[in-house]
Amino acid sequence: MFGEQQRFVLLLIAPAALLLLLFQVVPIVIGANASFRDWALYNPRKTWIGFDHYVAVISDPAFLYVVLPNTFLFMVLSVAGALVVGLALALLLNRPFRGQKLVQTILLVPLMVAPVIAAIMIRWIFNDQFGIVNVVLEAIGLDGQPWLVQRWSAFGIILLTDIWLWTPWFTLLLLAGLQSLPKEPFEAAAIDGTTTWRVFRFLTLPMLRPVIVVCVVIRAIDAFRTFDIVWTLTGGGPGRSTELFSLYAYVHAFLNLDLGRGSAAAIIGGLIILVIGVVLYRLVDRIAKA
Amino acid sequence: MAMVHRSEFLPWLPPMGRKTLFALALAFICFAFAFPVLWLILTSLRPESGVYYVHRGTEFTLGNFAEVLREERIVEAFVNSALIATLATVFSLLVTVSSGYMLSRFTGPASRLWFGTIYVFRCVPYISWVLPLYFVTQSWGIYDTYTGLLLPHVAVHICFFSWLMKGFFDGIDPSMEYAAMIDGCTRWGAFIRVAVPSALPAISALAVLCWLFTWNEFLFALILTGNRVPMITVVMAQFVTEMGLRWNLMAATAVMALVPAFLIALFGQKYVIRGLRI
Repeated sequence: MFGEQQRFVLLLIAPAALLLLLFQVVPIVIGANASFRDWALYNPRKTWIGFDHYVAVISDPAFLYVVLPNTFLFMVLSVAGALVVGLALALLLNRPFRGQKLVQTILLVPLMVAPVIAAIMIRWIFNDQFGIVNVVLEAIGLDGQPWLVQRWSAFGIILLTDIWLWTPWFTLLLLAGLQSLPKEPFEAAAIDGTTTWRVFRFLTLPMLRPVIVVCVVIRAIDAFRTFDIVWTLTGGGPGRSTELFSLYAYVHAFLNLDLGRGSAAAIIGGLIILVIGVVLYRLVDRIAKA
Repeated sequence: MAMVHRSEFLPWLPPMGRKTLFALALAFICFAFAFPVLWLILTSLRPESGVYYVHRGTEFTLGNFAEVLREERIVEAFVNSALIATLATVFSLLVTVSSGYMLSRFTGPASRLWFGTIYVFRCVPYISWVLPLYFVTQSWGIYDTYTGLLLPHVAVHICFFSWLMKGFFDGIDPSMEYAAMIDGCTRWGAFIRVAVPSALPAISALAVLCWLFTWNEFLFALILTGNRVPMITVVMAQFVTEMGLRWNLMAATAVMALVPAFLIALFGQKYVIRGLRI
């Protein structure tokens, strides 16, 4: 039925495709089906109710005015923060200095730390009674803050944890990118006596752009679905003020035991990120070709 | 590279001051990156009575580790996590190396379709398919078993790792494979005997990343396991809510969970840095 080459091509991807089908496609279809049904975990009647869950999610003020803004704000700030810090560190590590290897190893530490562990550490450090941050603040005469029970300080700490966790990832990829840049333009610039800033602005940055864009796309899509650090740091609290989209779906499905509504929320989030993903992909493509 | 762009920042400073400033900045950055982990380690070494004043006491103990290791559930969680991470790494690589090879070496509708599929599924948030996967694994009778956790973990790596593998194979000149085929090698022979060995540094990098990702993963473990297959991340997260006040024990568990990841990463660092040139 197929030629020898087609058989080879199909066999190469067959195991991956099969796993993808069984463990992603099938669940997504089942989830989509559940989102149209009255499907509570304690009473799975599974009657068809059309778009009711979707309407409920979209008209939920918590989703519209807290969860969505939180998710987008988190995505933008987390990616921007990790990119700026990661790029700065990559530039730093790209110059030779004594102890460079040691510094590089230390900077990669967060890469090995599980998000859950990071969240536990940060929670302890910012503990309102015994955390070292409040101890230090009180020692220098300031008031300690209940960091994790105020909306914006809690949000800021989640953000900080995320940036700490993901900066090394940017550093690593950007450093690899920097080291594979051609040397001649930099030599020419050095001979012309160009300033550091202008070398960075007009040489490094444009040449590094494809790597930066790929990093940003991958990270942005991941940041959108962040779950573990928020769950462990605040559980979405105080109240529901730091909930992100993944948490919203999880809470509805497994804490409120309403699988239908949780699935609907998961599908809405999935559609949003799919649109963002396609737009970003176009962008990458255009930049890669330019 | 060393003698190239020696243009300096802050040119008005004398060289000595610039050097000091640079060293101070470096020290500060390293401190910021290492502090949370150091603090965790310090906490794990304090006795119960001193844990609330980590910064002042002078007593240190290894008792926390001994106490944690007496908890059967935690030991079991460590074994499970290590086992799943190792198996997931092996299976993920088996599946994605060939898929990435296909993406890199063949162009045409099949390849484009597969790439598009991978990209789309890479974007789908985990929650959107893990949430219903809870029911799927239950109806297949694999909820809360090794299989039920292992296969989704392999599935989640397919998209990203196929993509990375494609990049690696793109960087390897295919003429060696053609030469092998002219010499009588089959396509499979060329792939397994020629292409895979030359991609070995990249494959090692992926192995390191895959192990770390699986070891550190939380959401899947939270949703797809109950009491029979405790995973270390879930056990720790439960700690926070159930034993919220026993920070010394929590820190000891967390430190022990960090050790294997550190060893793997330290050992694999050079492969990752070499392998990740995209």
